[in-house]
Amino acid sequence: MSAQKKRNFKIEAFKHRVEVDPKYAEKTWKILEHAIHEIYNHNASGLSFEELYRNAYNMVLHKYGEKLYSGLVTTMTWHLKEIAKSIEAAQGGLFLEELNRKWGDHNKALQMIRDILMYMDRTFVPSNHKTPVHELGLNLWRDNIIHSHKIQTRLLDTLLDLIHRERKGEVINRGLMRNITKMLMDLGSSVYQEDFERPFLEVSASFYSGESQQFIECCDCGDYLKKAERRLNEEMERVSHYLDAKSEAKITSVVEKEMIANHMQRLVHMENSGLVNMLVDDKYEDLSRMYNLFRRVPEGFSTIRDVMTSHLRETGKQLVIDPDRLRDPVDFVQRLLDMKDKHDKIINVAFNNDKTFQNALNSSFEYFINLNNRSPEFISLYVDDKLRKGLKGVTEEDVEVVLDKVMMLFRYLQEKDVFEKYYKQHLAKRLLSGKTVSDDAERSMIVKLKTECGYQFTSKLEGMFTDMRTSQDTMQGFYASQYSEMGDGPTLAVQVLTTGSWPTQPSAPCNLPAEILSVCEKFRAYYLGTHTGRRLTWQTNMGTADIKATFGKGQKHELNVSTYQMCVLMLFNSADCSSYKEIEQATEIPASDLKRCLQSLACVKGKNVLRKEPMSKDIAEDDAFYFNDKFTSKFIKVKIGTVVAQKESEPEKHETRQRVEEDRKPQIEAAIVRIMKSRRVLDHNSIVTEVTTQLQSRFLPNPVVIKKRIESLIEREFLERDKADRKLYRYLA
Amino acid sequence: MASGSDRVRFNVGGKIFETTATILANAGRQSMLGSLLDEFWKPRQPAGGGEYFIDRNPACFAVLLDLLRTGELHVPPNIPERLLYREALFYGLLDHVRAARWGPFDGNLLRPAASVPGRAPGDGTAIRAGPDGGCCVAHGSMVHVYDWMLEEHRPISLDYQQVNDVGYLDAQSIVVTARERLGRGEGGMGLFSSSTGELRHRFRVAHDDQVKSFTAGALSFSNSDYKIFASCKGRCNEYGIGVWDHDTGLQVDFFYEPTGCLLGDADKLQWLDGSNCLMVATLFPRTDNCFIGLLDFREKSVVWSWSDARITSSLDDKKVVHAIAMEDGRSVCVVNQYEDLGFMDLRSNAGGVRWSSRSKLMNRKVPEEESCYPKLAAHGGQLFSSMNDSISVFCGPERVLTSTLRSTYGGSICDFSIGGDRLFALHSDENVFDVWETPPSPIF
Repeated sequence: MSAQKKRNFKIEAFKHRVEVDPKYAEKTWKILEHAIHEIYNHNASGLSFEELYRNAYNMVLHKYGEKLYSGLVTTMTWHLKEIAKSIEAAQGGLFLEELNRKWGDHNKALQMIRDILMYMDRTFVPSNHKTPVHELGLNLWRDNIIHSHKIQTRLLDTLLDLIHRERKGEVINRGLMRNITKMLMDLGSSVYQEDFERPFLEVSASFYSGESQQFIECCDCGDYLKKAERRLNEEMERVSHYLDAKSEAKITSVVEKEMIANHMQRLVHMENSGLVNMLVDDKYEDLSRMYNLFRRVPEGFSTIRDVMTSHLRETGKQLVIDPDRLRDPVDFVQRLLDMKDKHDKIINVAFNNDKTFQNALNSSFEYFINLNNRSPEFISLYVDDKLRKGLKGVTEEDVEVVLDKVMMLFRYLQEKDVFEKYYKQHLAKRLLSGKTVSDDAERSMIVKLKTECGYQFTSKLEGMFTDMRTSQDTMQGFYASQYSEMGDGPTLAVQVLTTGSWPTQPSAPCNLPAEILSVCEKFRAYYLGTHTGRRLTWQTNMGTADIKATFGKGQKHELNVSTYQMCVLMLFNSADCSSYKEIEQATEIPASDLKRCLQSLACVKGKNVLRKEPMSKDIAEDDAFYFNDKFTSKFIKVKIGTVVAQKESEPEKHETRQRVEEDRKPQIEAAIVRIMKSRRVLDHNSIVTEVTTQLQSRFLPNPVVIKKRIESLIEREFLERDKADRKLYRYLA
Repeated sequence: MASGSDRVRFNVGGKIFETTATILANAGRQSMLGSLLDEFWKPRQPAGGGEYFIDRNPACFAVLLDLLRTGELHVPPNIPERLLYREALFYGLLDHVRAARWGPFDGNLLRPAASVPGRAPGDGTAIRAGPDGGCCVAHGSMVHVYDWMLEEHRPISLDYQQVNDVGYLDAQSIVVTARERLGRGEGGMGLFSSSTGELRHRFRVAHDDQVKSFTAGALSFSNSDYKIFASCKGRCNEYGIGVWDHDTGLQVDFFYEPTGCLLGDADKLQWLDGSNCLMVATLFPRTDNCFIGLLDFREKSVVWSWSDARITSSLDDKKVVHAIAMEDGRSVCVVNQYEDLGFMDLRSNAGGVRWSSRSKLMNRKVPEEESCYPKLAAHGGQLFSSMNDSISVFCGPERVLTSTLRSTYGGSICDFSIGGDRLFALHSDENVFDVWETPPSPIF
């Protein structure tokens, strides 16, 4: 056996491990790379999807995913660099179009590449934390095209230039703009914001800053606002046409800031066309525009409101303190109402019925109405005028409208109790003279006051109405009982007034003519017979009488006169002439009333049933009066009014005020006691605040007066000062 | 290609299939078959007599085409599932297969679908269901990851430290909490890729601007404001709940443990979307006294809490061993070692546990020596509790016992989890886990 023959058997390891052709990956990638080239070259029709898909699949399956992925990045980057060159080469206006076209191409290519590499996208990409193919394509586009330094600034400049040209009125290709901005948005919101939106906003700000400066120099306020509004709408339209919807708030805020906020004060105060002029001239459209524009900027509303308030206060103040206006209370109130109507309408039409504006209007009215302390009286007089005659032939609804408006003014009054005083007086006069036009209107007014101020405010007013009604019943009863004995005597109409409900001033009754006196006595007997425990006092200063008179040529007239006048005229039944002294003695009418009454009988042209010697306007103590034989009138009925100052005279005013102040005292005291009863111990300032809040529905109590009332209550031992702390008051039960 | 109609012809591995473009459209644009017919590729006529040639397995194509036609998946016994899945992945139809594979979750219709043996030593710590039907199992210092096909992926570990809890942030990401390794800054908490097992992010905790190592315990995620919560123990009494952001992975908050509230050792965290609070439960046997609290991170306050500190004294007393907040966010359900269910009202602070008397009726069994403590889960209005080797399903407002899931193999259940329309139950003995799923809807 030779050694050579001896063979060591040895098990060899397999030399052939099953390996994929090392060039396999390279070959496969070449196929795919070629396909990507073909896709970018618009030459994809020769490609087989199944084959490419299978190749990509196999590469991933055989762990060549990394090679596939990096190859894709390289190839796509190369193509994008080529694309960048061709975009850079595009001339002028063709630049955007080229960019848009290439973007479309790239998107299409990206879709096809993604289709081929779908398997990689699904398996290799997520497990290796790679960017998915579609996103990768967008990122590469962003880095190689949009952020290439030759394109980046050019793109931005082109876009901004186009927008600038559109702002200047040129027509631009909006579809193209839309595609380009859409591209930026597709590349990610940060790309859109950084590469377009931020510079766009900056450029817009400087554009509008310049333009607004130019406008404000040459336009009036209304025109400026029109322009600003148009610009704002244009920008919103621009956003809707070719920008990201999220840009709207940003660009509008730029326009708002540059065109409105920065010029707000100047606009509002613009001479001859500012807010005040718009208010004065009722420029609803301009006002509404201003409202809608200013609402967009901070402090916009408050600017308008402040100017409107100060304007209202100024004009209102002029209105209420102008002595010319004070002559005619009805006109005065009518002007207030007109002013209110005017501004209500402005707020309604132009200011969207904004609550804060209404409040500003109300507070302004409250401010200036109370500047004039005769406002309560005038408002009452206005109602009086309306209810006397002003509402004749007016429908019920219109009456309500007028009364509601008055109530609105009433609400502004701080001294509601003063109004109440006057209203009572005026109502009394209306009721007693039978001058009220409509019972319904009167009652409606009372109801309104009641809802506004509560039951106690109107209880006396209602008492007056009750008196009127019961008086009517009483008179019917009286005549029914006296029917047989009445005969030819004068007809008496008595109104029995409850003391306290009516604003009567105690006045000594005058001497009534005998004819009247007897009827009066009969009534007194009848009334006291039916009602026990009552006392009747005649208020001769408030009555009226109708008397028949025959003059020189046999003319018969019916004279409608006051009770005092009747007493005077009756004297002339027995004598044709009578001196002032004689009249005064016979009638015992108080001197001031008598003078007024004689004045109206002798000195008013057309109603001078008496003749006075010497002829003069005023009544003197030594005047003599004659029955005026020559009196003529074309009316059968002649109404002889008393010369009364419809408005209160100075001393009367003073008196009323004093009475009001007097009435307030117990109210303040009652409030203090009410508060102290529940709180037991309270310091001075808190009492004052609480009293003020409790009473402000009726009037605004003066702190000094409150202090006086507290002192008075301490004196009367309702309260005491705390021994330790002098600022505290203690309630003494 | 097919004349006049939308018919499409395929030659798959030599076998001819004919179908319509309409049926193929069911595959969606994101699939190979959908792209094939897209207009980008359509102008090109397929080669070889008007048919698309696809060099793949025809038998699987038949199954998948049937799936596209009917929406149902029927796999002939001669096709291994793995083969089918591979082919489905090629066509981009894996999601379709998964959707047809099992039906929407219902605790009363569950069937055992698979039983996966484990090979890890020692007891399992936790099992968590992933959102897409996969799961992960923590054993000691390792986490084994299975996708929905129950294919195992690379296991995860955080510096080979003892794993305390795991959770799926999404189908691709798993968060692992582990014990710290003294002195080396290891352990703590990490984010891993579920498919490759690589560590993607390590969560840090800083106290007074100083990064410190820590042991992370229970985990919870809030999907409404993208936060991750974990109970943390630092070495200098830095106990509390750490909060991190989903996206950045950075620490955004830390709730330091107030006295009387055990937070750093918590067994269970659960974010309550409705009340914007985190439920924290630290339970027996980790601590002798159970603590359950609701934390409001905006005000850094404990808005509700309960403790049995003064209630229990001996070991035989009822101890709360697991707790979950119910899905309506109004009550907490707890379970004791005897599998009694109890409820606590989160709307009032005064109540205690209302124990239901179910177990008394059921002839209370003394827990066996080798048993595991019960666990709870709530899903779709149903309540689940594990005890020994079975899981009970309770339904309705009265929590009526409606089903019992029991498997005979693997011993008692140490943890279970519901997600991705599946229930996974981890057994203690053999480290095996069972997969329960609802079969697809009946044919008729």
